[in-house]
Amino acid sequence: MAKGLDIGTMNIICSEREEEDVVFTQQRNAFLELDSSDLTETMLDSAKVLYIERDERIYVLGEDAFKFATIFGKDARRPMRYGIISPKEKDAIPMIKLIVERVLGEPGYRNEVLCISSPGEPIDLDMNPLYHKKMMEALARRMAYETHVIDEGLGVIYSELSDYNFTGLGISMGAGLTNVTLAYLATPVMSFSIGRGGDWIDEQVSITTGLPKEHVCATKEKGFKLGLEVEYGSADGALSIYYDALMTYVIKNLNRKLAEVTPPKVEFPVALAGGSTLPDGFLKMFERKLREAELQIDISKIRLAKEPLYSVARGCLIAARTHEGEEIGSGGETEEGAG
Amino acid sequence: MDNTSSPGILQRGALIYYVGSVTFAAGIALLAVGTAFITISRIHYGSEPEKIILSVISTGVGTTLILTGINMMMKQTRYGYYIVGASAFISLLALLIFTSNYPHNWFYPLISYVLTLYIAGFLALLGNAFANVILWMIEGKPEAVVGREREIKIYTDEEIERDIEEATRKSIELSASELKFKEPGVEEVKLGKTFRETRGNITKVKDDIGEAKSLRKTINPGERMKSGSVEVESVSRNLGEILRKGAVQKGRFGKIKEEIKDEMKKFYSSIRVTRNR
Repeated sequence: MAKGLDIGTMNIICSEREEEDVVFTQQRNAFLELDSSDLTETMLDSAKVLYIERDERIYVLGEDAFKFATIFGKDARRPMRYGIISPKEKDAIPMIKLIVERVLGEPGYRNEVLCISSPGEPIDLDMNPLYHKKMMEALARRMAYETHVIDEGLGVIYSELSDYNFTGLGISMGAGLTNVTLAYLATPVMSFSIGRGGDWIDEQVSITTGLPKEHVCATKEKGFKLGLEVEYGSADGALSIYYDALMTYVIKNLNRKLAEVTPPKVEFPVALAGGSTLPDGFLKMFERKLREAELQIDISKIRLAKEPLYSVARGCLIAARTHEGEEIGSGGETEEGAG
Repeated sequence: MDNTSSPGILQRGALIYYVGSVTFAAGIALLAVGTAFITISRIHYGSEPEKIILSVISTGVGTTLILTGINMMMKQTRYGYYIVGASAFISLLALLIFTSNYPHNWFYPLISYVLTLYIAGFLALLGNAFANVILWMIEGKPEAVVGREREIKIYTDEEIERDIEEATRKSIELSASELKFKEPGVEEVKLGKTFRETRGNITKVKDDIGEAKSLRKTINPGERMKSGSVEVESVSRNLGEILRKGAVQKGRFGKIKEEIKDEMKKFYSSIRVTRNR
């Protein structure tokens, strides 16, 4: 057995193999602080809400934090910002620890291989992901996992570009960051992140329309369609504008970074993944913009991940299984050789 | 070029290397022609003087040119070119003296002087080449012998900075991997009822994760075939038994052949691919 873990700004997703299925366990990376009382506890228990009690305070964790934030008129707190542990959130590490422990579960055996996704070095933010990466590694190691870390973009390549010998461009558009990796035969040629993602869109739309961020996020995640025709003053219109701006920004920075490397002279397929690629019409719009941009590399096919939200976690699971080498060793999948 | 890459050996351009090659080739050709001429004309002590002169000149000049060419193709020490030039000159001078004096004035002690002069030049060329080879071996620079101009890539400040940053980042990441984090003082945390019941929203997707195998092959293309020793021993034993039976029952050859085929099939099916460690 082996596990993959995608620790994102918005979601923490664990992937593992269960017989012929891959099981994704997902939890929102958020929490909400409430006053402790017997009544609240009873209410939360009966509603089967994930919470803990500490220092006479109740902390609602995961998806429910958003639901209760709306009910109580509070903001859900986020332990991560821009893809790494938020320096502004004092309870960030204990909360992430609790959520990760929950989502990941106990290892099947000591030193079970676990592969964690990590953001690449941001090119437009003054921050370094090393601390975040080391903390997550240490956290998992403490749970008796043998931990490996891969870039998010590489996770997308592992998950989506096996048909191309793991050669291509993997783009993961998450909530906090957009991660990009260019790989040739599974080896990263270039890896970086851009400090804009779904959260940036939510913030900008919220500022320009006056709508609460949570409302914008909900609109974006439920049935929003990216198109060229939008209504004046609608949230959809603003979302389309900022999606367009985000894509332009990502492609411009990608081209700038490509100028710094000398990739092999081959055609690179592109795989898109991440929660921010979920709206209908995203692929069409991104493909048009990418083709128009005339990148410094030749692009062949542009495809959206089969499960954009789970793609990085799946890539991590593939990497973990490769480390563990279980598919070669197991009898069922043994290759027969001829002399 | 007269810049020195090391205390002993000089850097040079490509031209001298090509001139040396041509000289070497000319020497080989002359020596070949001279040897062929000696054989065809059946040169001996009593042969015509013109034939003897032609034979000695072609082989003598050929040998000198070969050694001069070899020396020119090598990187030389500070005085190497002077030594090569002087040695070649001495050898050729000896041949010139021979040509002008043979056969009428070809007597002792002139023979000894001319022979000494030629041998001195020959040995000096040979010794210089030998010394350069030894020097090159000590300095351990294989490219020095060829002497081709090296392609010098000019790095920009940005590229150098990027390389340094990359190297620094990698070493920092490695250094931090030894760190162990201590758990801070255990706070009293009471877990809600649901906390132990659910891990999160679960989604199941039918997926065999076949990419893991492809990834392994891409990362480690040099997988090797390895036989499971127990299976091989067992199959080999069976095969041996059948072969022994075959030796006794020669009349049933066709059946034995079939049995061997079956055993061979079993043998191959026991071979499996394992990771190349």
